[in-house]
Amino acid sequence: MKIITINPDICVGCGNCEYACANEQKGNFDIKNSWIRVNFYPADRVCIPWNCAQCEDAWCMRVCPAGAISRDPKTGAVLIDEGLCAGCKMCMLACPYGSIHFDLEAAVSRKCDLCGGDPQCVRACLSGALQFVEVDRAYEFRRRQFDNVLRAMPGIAKQDGEER
Amino acid sequence: MRLVVIGNSAAALAAVEAFRQIDKDSSMTMISKERGPAYSRVLLPYVLRHKVKPENIFIRDVSFYRSLNIDLHCEEEVVEVNVEKAFVGTRSGRRFPYDRLLVATGSDPVRPLVEGMEGEGVFSLWTRDDLEGLLPLFEKKGSVLVVGSGFVSLQAAWSALASGLSVTLAVRSQRLMRRVISEEAGCLLRDKILQAGVDLRLGVSIERIERLEGGRLRVFLKGTDPFEVDFVIVAIGVCPNTAFLEGTGIQIDEGILVDHRMKTSVEGIYAAGDVAQGPTAFGEERAVHAIWPTAEEQGRVAGTNLAGVELAYSGSLNMNVTQMFSVTVASMGIFEEREGIESHSLSTEAGFIRVLYRGDVPVGGVVVGSSEDVALLGHLRPFIRKHRPCPQDLSELRKFFAMDLVGTIRREHLALPRGRLSIPKEGSR
Repeated sequence: MKIITINPDICVGCGNCEYACANEQKGNFDIKNSWIRVNFYPADRVCIPWNCAQCEDAWCMRVCPAGAISRDPKTGAVLIDEGLCAGCKMCMLACPYGSIHFDLEAAVSRKCDLCGGDPQCVRACLSGALQFVEVDRAYEFRRRQFDNVLRAMPGIAKQDGEER
Repeated sequence: MRLVVIGNSAAALAAVEAFRQIDKDSSMTMISKERGPAYSRVLLPYVLRHKVKPENIFIRDVSFYRSLNIDLHCEEEVVEVNVEKAFVGTRSGRRFPYDRLLVATGSDPVRPLVEGMEGEGVFSLWTRDDLEGLLPLFEKKGSVLVVGSGFVSLQAAWSALASGLSVTLAVRSQRLMRRVISEEAGCLLRDKILQAGVDLRLGVSIERIERLEGGRLRVFLKGTDPFEVDFVIVAIGVCPNTAFLEGTGIQIDEGILVDHRMKTSVEGIYAAGDVAQGPTAFGEERAVHAIWPTAEEQGRVAGTNLAGVELAYSGSLNMNVTQMFSVTVASMGIFEEREGIESHSLSTEAGFIRVLYRGDVPVGGVVVGSSEDVALLGHLRPFIRKHRPCPQDLSELRKFFAMDLVGTIRREHLALPRGRLSIPKEGSR
């Protein structure tokens, strides 16, 4: 299973991901139809893309009183069935990350569906801040990073005389 | 082990799912007084205004019960729990022995005790039967009196208006949704309801209902002239279904008193959902939060503990949201100022956001306005639950939450290093 990883340090705030998402989801470039959002605060030099994390224990899925939210067994994405969604917005209130958006025209909640396994935001990303990678590979990187932190600590023996 | 669950809605379903994940072998029996597989009450008003198809109110199908190896008994109303002999008895005379019992019987609507309130033409909006009775009346587009000022009654009034009925809304208090939103939010909603064309009567109580020839009803509200309507919908509140537990020794206050593991005062018996009065996120007195998310959470905690794995509930946090009369209204936690709690608010294009704080820690909020503002309350929820401080200047809040996401990204979302090339390739080590 693959996930979208986000690196806010290298995002340049171009907004391509938002356009790509709106185009894929609604066929236009109105970013209110984008389910990925870049939080852009130029004065503070802050630029944070954010998209649904497809939480392992997805609270939106559990609280949906219409049973409209389920997990795609293929991609692992948490999906909203617009035919079942009543538009009650409980999922929006439940999501701690603001990843669910409301489609005013259809009066249903919407969110990232990983474009069925080929996320367009990642394709359009200029800087490489967004990547779509296998979960184990992403974790492998994190494990190494953690390793490095540990080894840099005084008093922790370096293995095989390696210099790091 | 034999687990018996009384109920078949949010709490009961979450419980059996959690239970079966841990315990694959024990037998599970569910007893429900209603027909058929589980459906969602929350959706009933949405069906009335054709937003949800009647067949889509079902949230589980028969295969669900089969796959979890659940023995489901519908249209069986439990009238007795025998604690000594450990069985539950139903109205039809059947007995179900149990080793552990979960009471998830929910709540039922209450009605004002006035003449003519029971009988033809007066409906609640709570069950499939209510829905089936109301649908043909909504088709006829006559006139309706809706009594009550909570989510269900306002949803009913809006559905009726949207279906082309002429709607009178009678509210006993001077305020709308007194128990779920603040006074100013109630006022904004009131204006929207009046603009939409509802004949709204605040501060009136219903005195009696008279049945006329041909089925129409004449209603008498205190202090006004009587008038005629085709039917009445009453939704003034709900009451936990605990009557059948009398004499069992299970401690009941407003609802069944439960601890952090959803245990009642009687060994082996648990309760969850609308029927339970449990700990809240604020650690105050135990409360009945008759809402779907709390039922789901409590059900899961109960199911896990019933299966023998200890899990403590961090307490329920009330949250409500609805869109009606072209405005979105949401609330969470404590939504009105009281001693030691002050509020900060921000006007928005469509209404306002108000967040309440104890010191610098948020304890609740109210939103009237657009959908994206609802998401802001969602961001706030973990801060309320974990008692984490956040800024009191609400215009800073969005940025603050965005910055907080960076921590989440580092913790959960796995920031990969600069450039695509630096991901370790398979086999490169």
